[in-house]
Amino acid sequence: MQGLTGRFVETVDWVSERLSRIASWCVLVSCAISAGNAMIRYGFNIGSNAWLELQWYLFAVTVFFGAPFLLKVNEHVRVDVLYVLRTGRGKAMTDLLGLIFFFMPVCLAMIHLSINIVTDSWHVQEMSSSAGGLIRWPVKALIPIGFVLLAIQGVVEIIKRVAFLRGTYDMDTHYEKPLQ
Amino acid sequence: MITMGNAAPIMFGCLVVIMLIGFPVAFSLAALGIGFGYLSVALGFFPETFMANLPLRIFGIISNELLLAIPFFTFMGAILERCGLAEDLLEGTGQLFGGVAGGLGFAVIIVGAILGAITGTVAASVIAMGVISLPIMMRYGYDMRFATGVIAASGTITQLIPPSLVLVILADQLGRSVGDMYRAAIGPSMLQVAIFMAYTAALAVLVPKRMPALPAEARTVHGWKLWRQVLWGMVPSVVLIFLVLGTIFMGIATPTEAGALGAVGAIILAALHRRLSWTLVRQAMESTMRLSAMVMFILIGSTVFSLVFQGVDGNVWVEHMLSNLPGGPVGFLIAVNLFVFFLAFFLDFFEIAFIIVPLLAPVADKVLQPLLPPGAPPEAAVIWFGIILCVNMQTSFMHPPFGFALFYLRGIADQIFKNKTIPRPILSKDIYLGSIPWVVMQLMLVGVVIAWPGSVTYWLGAAEKIDLDKASETLRQMGGAATRGGATTLPGASAPAAAPEADPMEEIRRQMQQDADKKK
Repeated sequence: MQGLTGRFVETVDWVSERLSRIASWCVLVSCAISAGNAMIRYGFNIGSNAWLELQWYLFAVTVFFGAPFLLKVNEHVRVDVLYVLRTGRGKAMTDLLGLIFFFMPVCLAMIHLSINIVTDSWHVQEMSSSAGGLIRWPVKALIPIGFVLLAIQGVVEIIKRVAFLRGTYDMDTHYEKPLQ
Repeated sequence: MITMGNAAPIMFGCLVVIMLIGFPVAFSLAALGIGFGYLSVALGFFPETFMANLPLRIFGIISNELLLAIPFFTFMGAILERCGLAEDLLEGTGQLFGGVAGGLGFAVIIVGAILGAITGTVAASVIAMGVISLPIMMRYGYDMRFATGVIAASGTITQLIPPSLVLVILADQLGRSVGDMYRAAIGPSMLQVAIFMAYTAALAVLVPKRMPALPAEARTVHGWKLWRQVLWGMVPSVVLIFLVLGTIFMGIATPTEAGALGAVGAIILAALHRRLSWTLVRQAMESTMRLSAMVMFILIGSTVFSLVFQGVDGNVWVEHMLSNLPGGPVGFLIAVNLFVFFLAFFLDFFEIAFIIVPLLAPVADKVLQPLLPPGAPPEAAVIWFGIILCVNMQTSFMHPPFGFALFYLRGIADQIFKNKTIPRPILSKDIYLGSIPWVVMQLMLVGVVIAWPGSVTYWLGAAEKIDLDKASETLRQMGGAATRGGATTLPGASAPAAAPEADPMEEIRRQMQQDADKKK
């Protein structure tokens, strides 16, 4: 793969990689906040809704910024009973059809459906219903943002599969179930 | 043609076909849900506004405080599995039990239970124990079928033994408190360890040459030094387990916070073992991110599927089918367990928990209540059901040829043969045949838990017998927290109808009150 397409693929892969690092950091920060919150509440009997909510705001970042990277490294779990029997080309073909007929429509539908709840939330400047809570639209916006990122990575994965099937790109089609 | 009457069975059939294609589960499920959803809108099964519920459901998932326990418990495990704890534990206990026939087997079972409790991943336990114990067992003439079987089986105890991630997810899906799920799992996990121990002991007596005692020169550490090594490996981990479980049981922290505190404890423990490094924390962070994003996307996909499936009355269809099974409640349990046992060949725990469990739970709630022992609260029926499924799903790691634990073990066996840690390769046949007695024992446990619901409800009831001083102390603190917190959260609480989501502080207090109430 050369030229503009190649550059596009590289750029998107690079961005997804960077976003996944932010996602990893959010795990640590969110965990520290939660532990700190619990100790402070137990020790001093003070609770803060803002800190409580910040934990799951950060977790949402972990999930939605991590997912495109997982797509890139092929770690979204599959039912692999039949999948493992296929050759590299067969796997690439399965992925290609899946990406076009399953993945992209899902991303587009999700973006379409979720954009409304973000704009609604933005217009009324919706706040958390609990006292001292956080403003809602940023975390709601993560849903369409996450699916936009996924869709872009999806386009890149489609390009990779097509190039692989035409023999102009070398990729590892090996799939192993994520450890659990 | 698709009508409202047959839409649900057709959708379920499509689910099976689509999953088998092998495209990532999360997106296959979502695609099926969305495709069927828009089709249903076109056919007039439900209005288009129904689909607008989807983003709200997804928002409901990410704002669910309990699911935050997933990254925290995973993070705790990811740190502990990298800090050499398994090595220390196995070394000590191996030396301690090495002198008797089958001693290494006992060591693996005990260490498997401890590792299972604190690391929470089957892969980590099996890999760590395989790397360390397989070469020793081979060197001293253990039968390889026994060796591989005991390692794989002890690794899978992880699923059941609290504090386990699996139980958190089941609690969420079944709508019960995590504390209750943990209490309920205590009995069965002790039984599981006991059954494994009894089997090993019986074999050691009947055929000692399959698992000989280590010769004296292999046992280099003795006396006080040995005990110190064992205690040094064991005490901090056991303390950590009890801290995590204790804070949940006593209502001091929510399960989510207990997970976060556990992760902090894990970092301290790694530092105690002088293995804390920046690389370790970074690796743990990254693997936690990967697992969390994967699991949450399966949950998002299943939610899309379930919403539409309920929209076409799928839950009514399933309930109708299941409540007409012959044999009443017992027939229901047997059928469901066979079904889940079979599904577990193909699906992971997460997929079963997110897709199948929510369909079965309401039926179980109705059908199983009469089978509970007298005195058990009616909400225990679903908890009991969840534990049965949890025990059942352990087997999915163990049955040849797809079982995950066997697969990890296969990988480990090849690896240690290649780097010449073991003199001869371990045959796949031995790994597969070796697993069979252990799968049978796990299935026996399913039978025991079905036949004896008391094994689950005993500890649920036991919570009430906890000594009263401690309970009233906790209650006083809870009361204090409640009045103090009440002032700050009142505005939100005063308008519950207007509030689309629960006040998180309120939620925490409710959960803790629930746990505290048990002790009254």
